[in-house]
Amino acid sequence: MFVIYKEMWMRRKMIHELSLQEIKREYAGTLLGFIWGLVNPMMRIAVFWFVFSIGARAAVPIKGVPYMAWLAIGMTAWFFLNDGFRLSQKSYRSKRSIIKNTPFPIVILPTVQVVFSYYKHLILLTVIFIVSAITFDTLSFWWIQILYYDFAAICLLVGIGSVAAPLVAVSKDFGSFLDTVLVFLFWMTPIFWSPENLGAIETLVKLNPFHYIVQGYRDSILFGVGFWQSPRYTVYFWLLVMILFILGNYFYKKMKPIFLDTL
Amino acid sequence: MESDIAVSVYNVTKKYKLYEDKWGPLKEVFFKKKLHNDFFALKNISLKFPAGESIGILGKNGSGKSTLLKIITGITEPTEGKIEVNGSLVFLDVSSGIDPELSGYENIFTKGILLGYSKHEMMKKVKDIIDFSELDDFIYQPVKNYSSGMRSKLGFAISVNVDPDILIVDEALAVGDEQFRKKCMKKMNQFKDEGKTIIFVSHDKNAIASFCSKAAWIEKGELIMYGDSKYVSDKYNEFMSGTKTIEEIKLENKYMHTIDNLVLGVVDNKLSIAFKGHIYNVERSNLNKFEFVIRNIRTRESISNLIETDTFDKENIDFTMYFNEHRYPNFFFPGRFLVNLRIKDNQNNIVEAPFWAGNLNVKNKNEKKGRFIYKTEIKKNNLELVINNHSKVEQQVDNIWFDKNIINIEGVAFVKGYETKVKDDVTLQGYLFEMKTFDISRFDIDLIESNEISKNPNFSSSDKDYRFSKFKAAIDIEKLEVGEYELNFIYKMHKEPYYELYNRVWASKRNSYPNYPYLYNNYKIILNYDNKYLQFKKETLHEEN
Repeated sequence: MFVIYKEMWMRRKMIHELSLQEIKREYAGTLLGFIWGLVNPMMRIAVFWFVFSIGARAAVPIKGVPYMAWLAIGMTAWFFLNDGFRLSQKSYRSKRSIIKNTPFPIVILPTVQVVFSYYKHLILLTVIFIVSAITFDTLSFWWIQILYYDFAAICLLVGIGSVAAPLVAVSKDFGSFLDTVLVFLFWMTPIFWSPENLGAIETLVKLNPFHYIVQGYRDSILFGVGFWQSPRYTVYFWLLVMILFILGNYFYKKMKPIFLDTL
Repeated sequence: MESDIAVSVYNVTKKYKLYEDKWGPLKEVFFKKKLHNDFFALKNISLKFPAGESIGILGKNGSGKSTLLKIITGITEPTEGKIEVNGSLVFLDVSSGIDPELSGYENIFTKGILLGYSKHEMMKKVKDIIDFSELDDFIYQPVKNYSSGMRSKLGFAISVNVDPDILIVDEALAVGDEQFRKKCMKKMNQFKDEGKTIIFVSHDKNAIASFCSKAAWIEKGELIMYGDSKYVSDKYNEFMSGTKTIEEIKLENKYMHTIDNLVLGVVDNKLSIAFKGHIYNVERSNLNKFEFVIRNIRTRESISNLIETDTFDKENIDFTMYFNEHRYPNFFFPGRFLVNLRIKDNQNNIVEAPFWAGNLNVKNKNEKKGRFIYKTEIKKNNLELVINNHSKVEQQVDNIWFDKNIINIEGVAFVKGYETKVKDDVTLQGYLFEMKTFDISRFDIDLIESNEISKNPNFSSSDKDYRFSKFKAAIDIEKLEVGEYELNFIYKMHKEPYYELYNRVWASKRNSYPNYPYLYNNYKIILNYDNKYLQFKKETLHEEN
């Protein structure tokens, strides 16, 4: 049932090397190189902050934490999730040329995109840590929990990628559909708005596993809340990941012979 | 799986579904109707590529050979069947795995990583790869700036330095200049020497014949034949040049009958010849139906023997056939002879086709002298036995006339340098050779003393005495069966050098011969000297009403 994940684990060195290659590819030919990994997200955070706090005047501190900080942490998590989802679902399509030319274990491709997104994310995360350390004048023990949420995020993204990528490889239409889903998720995940005090909507929102991660980031850096403090949500999250893994394995096996030709 | 087989292909079929429009697949699911055409890129192909050899895959564009490669390398999956690969595999396709955005240097690492090497291992190889590619500092430029020749150099340099067990080359050597190609061939030969398996795909039969030891020919998705590369590329050429159709080749070569070796000898002045060869793909039940045939190319007369096997291999026959002239007294006369395999198939059709002798190393100096001069030649990869007289007989028929039931023939025959001072120096024996039944009957030829030749400065340049060169022959037509006859004779010397010279009768003085049929009793004789050799036909007269 988890054959493809065993393969991914066995090939982890290959995945690592290929992710580094992806970074090189992304910034090849640019002067600023990986600095763009910082500049772009930070500008986007700045824009949102401006719109919501200055423009819409809707920025209120959440549970005692200033909106800007709350927003920035959430968006940091989101950038990772967004890239991971977006890149992994079309990984078979985008790497079409090497799939058709070189014999190698193609099952690792979605995971390579996830790991690549993670490495990019680390750059931003480091800066966020530094800024937070300076701002809050403290290095909290809770920050170590980020490791747990990173791990959770990677698992989630690998699961989603493994499910989506074979489907997108067979149907380009599905890929476009997923792009739309991602946009939808951006607005529906409490990144720049809080689900507190919204009653039933809060439960609905929790169904979105991305929220688990985003909230987890905030819990770790800002609120000092442990993941074990929401046991049911944690169990739900991992069950979801497990289902995704099983589905991903199934789809890969079923669709590989088909998409090798339709690509 | 046998360890001496590098790649096994088991009943592989590859089917593509061709839909008319893009909604086809969806419509099929909902309406449960078949809305596509099946295209079979490969049909039930089974092959075994032996380890440590270089094997070619030959076929024109669209034959399915690239598809077969893709399946072997794992880029595509077969619709049916499976592949087993024993060893590490590298696919040498010029463009494979190269990212144009990155530099050549970075691509070396990427490709290496895809093939499963660690960065550390690649670091050790990188210098060799760069040197081989001859790209120098260009290696640090993005590949998108390379010319196509540079790209193929890079691709080849990476793939070839990776040290696989099995290398698959897809016409990659078509690109690149002469010098680089030589380097590539050198490297491939090095691989061959190291005992690696090379699978070489091309539609250039010369490349395959020279580089590979074995070859598979694929046409329209089917495996036409697999065997010795010279043999297969030869047959491929016959097909591509239109000499033979696929069906003819398939039938003829189901058995891939080959002569591997022959020994030509002379015993008691008579020819003795041994052929060693093999036949592949024999079903046991057919064993009794293989005949080894030696056939006179001109007269079509043949002799044959059943082939018995030396080995007990259930699919292949190794044989040794002996032919001694003393068992066939009137067959091995001067002429050219083909060596054929005759098969009677299940429908009792008889097919005869020459043995392939492309690998036979026969020097034209392989000549043996006995009653005649015997040698073998290879023509278009077929073996020919060539028998010649020791010397040439100068001859001419001066006169032909009919007298009741006798045809009279007068002429001259002598050998330059052989003096015939006495009647006993030479005898002439006439032979009538029936052209359909190959029956031989004799007729007498008398020698008449005459100075015709000796005194003629055209013939006698050194005052030799050819007193007995004029001949007269009488043939009794009455005793002959109806048929078509060739006139031959043996000029037998009774002193040194004791030659026996067998010839057809030469008659080129058209104006001296009757040129209308001769009728006598109830039969008709029609002379034929159109191709300068004397023949005649005997027919019965039918009442015309």
